Amino acid sequence: MFTQRTGRPVRVALASIATAGLIVGLAACASEPASSDKPVELTFQAWVPNIDKAVDAFNAEHDDIHVTLETITAGPDGGYAKMLSAVQAGNPADIAQVGYSDIPDFLVSDALEDITPYVGESKDLFSSWQWDAGSFDGKTYAVPQASGPLVQFYRADIFDSLGIAYPTTWDEYYEAAKAIRASGPDRYITAFAFNQAAWLIGLSQQGGANWFSADGDAWDVTIDDENTLKVAAFWQKLIDEDLVKVEADFSSEWNADLQNGNVATWIVGSWGDAIIRGTAPDTAGNWAAGAVPQWTAGENVSATWAGGSASVVLKGSDHPKEAAEFALWLNSNPDSVSILTSIGAGWPSISDVSVIPALQEDPEVFDFYGGQNIWEVAAESDASVDNSWRWPPLASTLFASLTDNVKSAIEAGTPLTAAYEKTQTDMVAALEDKGISVK
Amino acid sequence: MTTTARRRQPFGLYVLIVPFVVMFALFFIAPIVYAIVDSMFSVKASGLGFGAPERIFVFVDNYVAALSSTSFVASLGRLLVFSAIEVPLMVVTSLALALLLESGRARFGRFFRVIAFIPYGVPGVIAAILWGFLYIPATSPILQSLSFLGLDINPLSTQGVLFAIANIALWGFAGYNMFILIAALNAIPSELYEAARIDGASEWATTWHIKLPLLRPSIILVTVFTIIGTLQLFVEPLVLRPLTTAINSDFTPNLAAYNQTFAQGNPNLAAAMAVIVAVLGFVFSFGFLRLVNRKGNRAW
Repeated sequence: MFTQRTGRPVRVALASIATAGLIVGLAACASEPASSDKPVELTFQAWVPNIDKAVDAFNAEHDDIHVTLETITAGPDGGYAKMLSAVQAGNPADIAQVGYSDIPDFLVSDALEDITPYVGESKDLFSSWQWDAGSFDGKTYAVPQASGPLVQFYRADIFDSLGIAYPTTWDEYYEAAKAIRASGPDRYITAFAFNQAAWLIGLSQQGGANWFSADGDAWDVTIDDENTLKVAAFWQKLIDEDLVKVEADFSSEWNADLQNGNVATWIVGSWGDAIIRGTAPDTAGNWAAGAVPQWTAGENVSATWAGGSASVVLKGSDHPKEAAEFALWLNSNPDSVSILTSIGAGWPSISDVSVIPALQEDPEVFDFYGGQNIWEVAAESDASVDNSWRWPPLASTLFASLTDNVKSAIEAGTPLTAAYEKTQTDMVAALEDKGISVK
Repeated sequence: MTTTARRRQPFGLYVLIVPFVVMFALFFIAPIVYAIVDSMFSVKASGLGFGAPERIFVFVDNYVAALSSTSFVASLGRLLVFSAIEVPLMVVTSLALALLLESGRARFGRFFRVIAFIPYGVPGVIAAILWGFLYIPATSPILQSLSFLGLDINPLSTQGVLFAIANIALWGFAGYNMFILIAALNAIPSELYEAARIDGASEWATTWHIKLPLLRPSIILVTVFTIIGTLQLFVEPLVLRPLTTAINSDFTPNLAAYNQTFAQGNPNLAAAMAVIVAVLGFVFSFGFLRLVNRKGNRAW
């Protein structure tokens, strides 16, 4: 290309293009000098709808810090990938919303700032199992925001019209399923959400399973323990007898079923209330909340929907101290927590929930449930959650593998118990592949 | 004077080409090189996994892992089946549309040509979402009317899902390919048609003996485009995945790579998968061109 005919004009042109490119590149790298009289600017990435109300409340009360909210897609659907890529690129947001189940993954990728110096003294403000979800090796990396203790939302009007009492055990649930199925050609007690790993895991946890425990320097993985297989066999029976509708939750089909009463119950984290109110507003007044059915009558065992959400400070943030301050305020200040609860962020992580007005008196929410204070059900559920559940690194692999295997099992008609056994094999292989020790 | 005129030409040429070359290198070549390099590394942790991980050079381990994974190989096989369905369907449909609407005897030919092209203007994700609504009995007026008449079809069952996806792709691109073929048809000199008419050729004979042979290069172009397109299959399975148990996260190689990056946290394996798909694309495209380029009758 460059022959003798390439004269001075061409070389000058190419040289100036290269220089211009260099100048632009260098200018982009230049950072602004810190100014002491301007408020510290922070970015907060979250996907809880309407959380801007809490952010606005913070900005109103603080002159020295200003937080800008950046709404992103839900973590598991791409939000986490966005955060991790930004950390790798060196320009992350300052604070981000991360689920408890994914904190180990972020630690494995070295994406979290150690905020013990800034929030370590506030440990007692929060419920201990939720604080522990964000702490490792004596250091704190996350401020817990809210959890999703499982409750069962159900159509009280359908149950009443069919004369079915609220099922307190899984056996009663089975009988109720038969009665509801018989009441209409398209009616089911609930949807079997093959796509929702958090739902499947929560049900197993409620059955007494504990899949991951750290034994010294290695993980003990028991996804196919007898409690899990017991839960799998129960739902297999419901599927085989056509007592549950096999459909993805949060899909348009499922939304339609919620609206027209073809799906009569939903076991979900306490924040599911906001989803139901938003999806099926015309069914107001017909719903109620109750505890998840028990395996042994009289017991009170509950579980969570993939743990909960926390606020973390991403590694590489220019202002970790201010970011940690915002995270702490957002999740412990009573006004902020009140806002978070009413927008459906989940069950608050602070240990003393009596200071939150929205939990005592919330007509907008309670009227939807025929006047019932559903938060009392959530409180009871939260108190009965098994605190020994641990999340391993590669939780995203666990979720992906579980949904894939359950889907294949349903598609091929093979038993669900086999899907869990395959997930056990897949998970151990994935952990060992990454270099992590497994017993 | 001649020397200055000769010098001015290359200068203008380079000024126009350099921006393209720079952009091409930055946004096309560089990512490919980065992906190939990335595919030869792997990120490993240790112990419980809570410390910072390290990046080690594993050479072709990722490729071996991808090719020995039964689900990835199955997805490649599925892609071949899909191509076998989609490519003939697409070529025949766009050819038929082009021939019919360009024959000069179609009523409102121009109107129907626009109608056939409009689906191409709908972004792929939107189209897949809308088709998703049409494929679920609860939200599809078409399926509901069919079941009213006694025909219970489930397009998203295991047997039907590939045809369902082929249908979406067909609607999206048949119009586009039709226009390529129409442009080629318009380039055929009309004297050939007159000569054929004088010789007493029927419409069908004209099509078979004049139009199709002269359309050969464009048909080959459309086929190569469609082959490359089917090998990239990603958007439709991604959007339809939550709606059916028939589509898993490794339904197609691109979907498997996406899953590896964003769900399984293994972008290196994903890079290896992407390189394998690209190589496959090259092999099929150039293989097909070799097949159809007879000596002395080069279409390309």
